[in-house]
Amino acid sequence: MMTRVLVPVAVLDGGTVSPGLMNLLGTVDVTVLGYHVLPEQTPPDQARLQYEDRATSALEDLSEEFRAAGGAADHRLVFTRDREQTVDRIADEVGADVRAISGVTGDVDRLLVPLSGDVAVDRILSFVTELVGDRDIGVTLFLAGPAEAATERLDEAAAVLRGEGIDVETRTAVGNAPFAALIDEVPDHDAVIMGERAPSLSSFVFGEESERVASASVGPVLVVRNAETPAE
Amino acid sequence: MSAKPSGTNVEGDAPVAESVVETDEATITDDAELERTLGLAGGLAIGIGTMIGAGIFVFPGLAGAEVGTAAMASFALSGVIALLVALPTSELATAMPKSGGGYYFISRGLGTLAGTVVGLSLWLGLVFATAFYLVGLGFYALDALAVVGISIGANPGGIVSVLAVASGAGFTVLNLTGTENAAKLQNGIVALLLSMLVAFLAFGLLDVFGVVGAEATGGTENDRWAALPILSTSALVFTSYLGFAQVATVAGEIKRPGRNLPLAMIGSVLIVTVMYVLTILVATSVFTREQLGAFGETAMVEIGRELLGVGGALVIVLGGLLATMSSANASILSTSRAIYGVSKDALLPRWAGRINLTYGTPHVALGMAGGPVIVLAATREVQLLAEVASFLHLIMYGLICVALVAIRRDEPEWYDPDFRVPGGPVVPVVGAAASFGLIGFMNRLSIAVGAVLILAATGWYFYYARDVSLKGAL
Repeated sequence: MMTRVLVPVAVLDGGTVSPGLMNLLGTVDVTVLGYHVLPEQTPPDQARLQYEDRATSALEDLSEEFRAAGGAADHRLVFTRDREQTVDRIADEVGADVRAISGVTGDVDRLLVPLSGDVAVDRILSFVTELVGDRDIGVTLFLAGPAEAATERLDEAAAVLRGEGIDVETRTAVGNAPFAALIDEVPDHDAVIMGERAPSLSSFVFGEESERVASASVGPVLVVRNAETPAE
Repeated sequence: MSAKPSGTNVEGDAPVAESVVETDEATITDDAELERTLGLAGGLAIGIGTMIGAGIFVFPGLAGAEVGTAAMASFALSGVIALLVALPTSELATAMPKSGGGYYFISRGLGTLAGTVVGLSLWLGLVFATAFYLVGLGFYALDALAVVGISIGANPGGIVSVLAVASGAGFTVLNLTGTENAAKLQNGIVALLLSMLVAFLAFGLLDVFGVVGAEATGGTENDRWAALPILSTSALVFTSYLGFAQVATVAGEIKRPGRNLPLAMIGSVLIVTVMYVLTILVATSVFTREQLGAFGETAMVEIGRELLGVGGALVIVLGGLLATMSSANASILSTSRAIYGVSKDALLPRWAGRINLTYGTPHVALGMAGGPVIVLAATREVQLLAEVASFLHLIMYGLICVALVAIRRDEPEWYDPDFRVPGGPVVPVVGAAASFGLIGFMNRLSIAVGAVLILAATGWYFYYARDVSLKGAL
């Protein structure tokens, strides 16, 4: 089954998807999630009555453009007060393994794939393989941490991707500022693909790492979600 | 899906109707979904946050002045009546977890006339309640000025009016321009208030039973343990229990409504009832009836001062400010939802539910809430405002109970509540009788004002919405 990517778009606040990201996602299925975050004093149903038509037509246009770029695409429209809760719920419901954080990019030539920390490397690599397909898109694997262990992990991962015929480079960063080192790598790349990490103290204080990467890099970030936990 | 609303109002608009699917996490319509984002804590915060301001910070002085220690019975009785209504409201809300609350149940259960009367009187009742909270806020702000040593001048009443009007205008503007994190703030305020009050009441109770502090100075010799004064005090303080139905007005936004709605409504009534009764116990132990009467709206500040010195007075002043603010703000928010629910059903012009394009807030509805609130707050008539608010709510509460009986009798195919009130028709019938009965013990003037408003709402129905049919529709 083809991987499905959830693309949340703040549909009534001028949110859109850059052509570069649309083309990049041409090899996978897409669900466009149009959301609108409401202030507390606005009943969601009231906002829906007033905005639904406009939002739906914008979403239909977006889905059409995604289909033109290659993949199957559908859309959902949600009025909410909690963006994160909505993204998680819809991702679970449509079975999306990956969610996108839209950013500005032109044609994608090279992807940055950080493998630092406790992330599901196999899931990330298999998504990268499927996404790149037979296109001429290069991949830079990045890892921050102690040298030997890092090199070993990177080499294994690089071997997997090379086996699929993908052009791979590896970078390591030693030192105590892994986040800054990752951001330093961004300028030569058009998009970032990273794994979701379990919530931690630092994600509570500074916000989720993927969101921080997205705002620091300006370009799109594709976040490979953790394997679904069995329903309660 | 069953019958649809039908007919049109005098302008030719029909009720907005469509089929929706309610899940635990969202309301799903044909083209869009509405995320449910409030948990049990959020629901309790709305209920308790709306109620606690009045019962603890405004009424102890007024109710204690009427009947002394017997005010405990008044608060307990009001609490029981609130509970008798909260149970049927919970059943209806789990069957129809939609925004609009009591209005929605009554218009579907009893038809458009009752729906219009309740929808408009819910709006007006909330307006009176908000004005009442704001006057309370004004009194506390005045005391706050006094505690920090700013002299009050010759006309303290005028200053209360000014403060009440200014804060009313402030809340309206704040809500118009969008307060993103007000919900989280509300939870924090309620948690802070509850912990302050628990600590304060615990100390007060220790004092009452002679464990700490000097001998109690309050007396019981002037208490009026007689049915009539206790009942009329119940009618006065019932305003302290209006908040649980506000939980129903956001029913469409509550996660797992089948579980969380009943818990939030019944839980908030139980929690505030216990706190009110204990507060009265402490208040009437510290001061006599006559003293409480002299202190009036802010008697709690003097109780704090008596128990814990200036620090105690400060804590109560701060708590009173927070509590009356949270009550007023929560009520303004509920008012705009009430107006939206009615305008969606074509019982008010559609423009009343419009959303402002700049701020994304329902500016017309907020203006219809804030405008009259400011006028009423200027009157400073605490008792009248409270009783009219209670009158209009009690009409709705009684009709909610009647609607439950009616809907159960008709049992439409869509009626499948997760929560059912045990005991057949006993609870709703007693609840309706108690709600309507309590009105009889109010002040004549309050009854007259309330009755005029109900008649005006009825007149509006015959002029505007006679041909709209809502009964039995989902």
